[in-house]
Amino acid sequence: MKTRDPAAPDAVHGDGGGPTIRLMTAQHELDESEQIAPAANDGDDPLAFAEDEVVFELDRLSCFYGSFRAVRDISLQVPKNKITAIIGPSGCGKSTLLRSFNRMNDLVDSARIEGRILYHGVDLYANGVDPVEVRRRIGMVFQKPNPFPKSIYDNVAFGPRVAGFKGNMDGLVEQSLRRAAIWDEVKDKMREPGTALSGGQQQRLCIARAIAVEPDVILMDEPCSALDPIATLKIEELMRELKENYTIVIVTHNMQQAARASDYTAFLTMGDDRAGYLVEMAPTQDLFTRPAHRLTEDYITGRFG
Amino acid sequence: MEHAVDADGVRADHEERAGHRGPRATFDRALDQVKDDVLRLGARVEDALERAGRALVQRDSELADRVRWDDKEVNELQRQINTEITALIATQGPVARDVRVLLALYHAAAELERMGDYAVNIAKLAQQLASEPETPILKQIPRMEQICREQLRAAMRALVDTSEEEARGVCERDDEIDHLYNSVYEDAMQLMAIAPERARQATHMLFAAHHLERLGDRVTNIGEDVVYLATGQVEDLNP
Repeated sequence: MKTRDPAAPDAVHGDGGGPTIRLMTAQHELDESEQIAPAANDGDDPLAFAEDEVVFELDRLSCFYGSFRAVRDISLQVPKNKITAIIGPSGCGKSTLLRSFNRMNDLVDSARIEGRILYHGVDLYANGVDPVEVRRRIGMVFQKPNPFPKSIYDNVAFGPRVAGFKGNMDGLVEQSLRRAAIWDEVKDKMREPGTALSGGQQQRLCIARAIAVEPDVILMDEPCSALDPIATLKIEELMRELKENYTIVIVTHNMQQAARASDYTAFLTMGDDRAGYLVEMAPTQDLFTRPAHRLTEDYITGRFG
Repeated sequence: MEHAVDADGVRADHEERAGHRGPRATFDRALDQVKDDVLRLGARVEDALERAGRALVQRDSELADRVRWDDKEVNELQRQINTEITALIATQGPVARDVRVLLALYHAAAELERMGDYAVNIAKLAQQLASEPETPILKQIPRMEQICREQLRAAMRALVDTSEEEARGVCERDDEIDHLYNSVYEDAMQLMAIAPERARQATHMLFAAHHLERLGDRVTNIGEDVVYLATGQVEDLNP
């Protein structure tokens, strides 16, 4: 984030065939005898995973709130233009992990991290990195739709205005609403308040708002937990369209949603010290048909303690 | 939740599962029911095969009739198993081992139903042979029928115990059936050459052996399902 130019070369990692996505787990925590299938990344290089370009690379990331360690030693990579789901039991640090991706935890006084998060090869927490710019590039959609108490138009235009956007605002608003698959539903009521929309529409409006500042990554923290099943499926379809242009990381309690909508799934659970750690990350199809670890299988089949 | 602990201090998961407590108790109970039904289907097919073989050797047309008649129950049981499994998939959202075991059971039931049809075919051949002048049954045929039944029983054990080892054993032993089938072929050809008036009987016996060979392959398919169930890997064990 040394520059505000989205195409800045220093922010682009691995041009000409990006680095190989690698999968790492906190092996010290895991009992080898509980390995129940070969890991999805099993091969000559035990860490080789896929030929996708990497957006985030976590290197032994731990997140603390004061003296409490909420997340421990997580190493993983998030591939570009894919949907990565984070699943795990309540309190395992999924949301904390997600919020560390755009330094949202900075807003909590006692929060700090150990380890590193590289974003396109740049250390997100290095001195001189502007957290506001980080959050522009790495947007977030929350559990409860939270449109501003403004018109639909202003909800979308707000971010670009703050960022000093000087171009065709009407065009940007329309494009953002179209990409969020809500244009047809709101094009005739742009001056009405965003809060007057249905829950599912509000959530898509929030996605349009996130898109309007032309981010690179969209983080979603249980974006469908307040929505009905149809609105949920609409958001999932939208995610599939959005991944053409964005990288998406989604935290979800709904395992079927992770199974339906994501390309990769990371399973976190809680250690004896209540810190969340990564059990395994794999292509979603593999994780839900033949998970590599007993803990994963017990959780996804509903036999979690 | 308190767990039973065995002598080695290891949590006795199997006891918990037998009692079906915990969040998936409903699913586990339903899964046990499906497994019981598939075992019952296997037992019926094994019985049908034994009786069809006996009808063939003993020229017992009435016994063969009962095999044909009882196949309706085999078909009915298979349909019931399909309905149970479809409902579990639709309502319980099974994943990982749970979905693999349901698919393995679904496929095994289909294979068993088909094996029941082979037993019926053999019973029909027994009736045709009984209406022809008596010819000694080639001794490989009852042997094939016996091995098929042993294989079927082993495959059922492998399925309910998810025993990869037993499943691989089933697949390996299929070669024995294939050798016997080739041997029946040679003997039937020879019989036709030296006693052309017995060509019909020789052909009936050859068909019976053919049905048994096919039946053996279906048993092997169940073995492959069990290997998939145990490992999550698809393998061709009867290339």
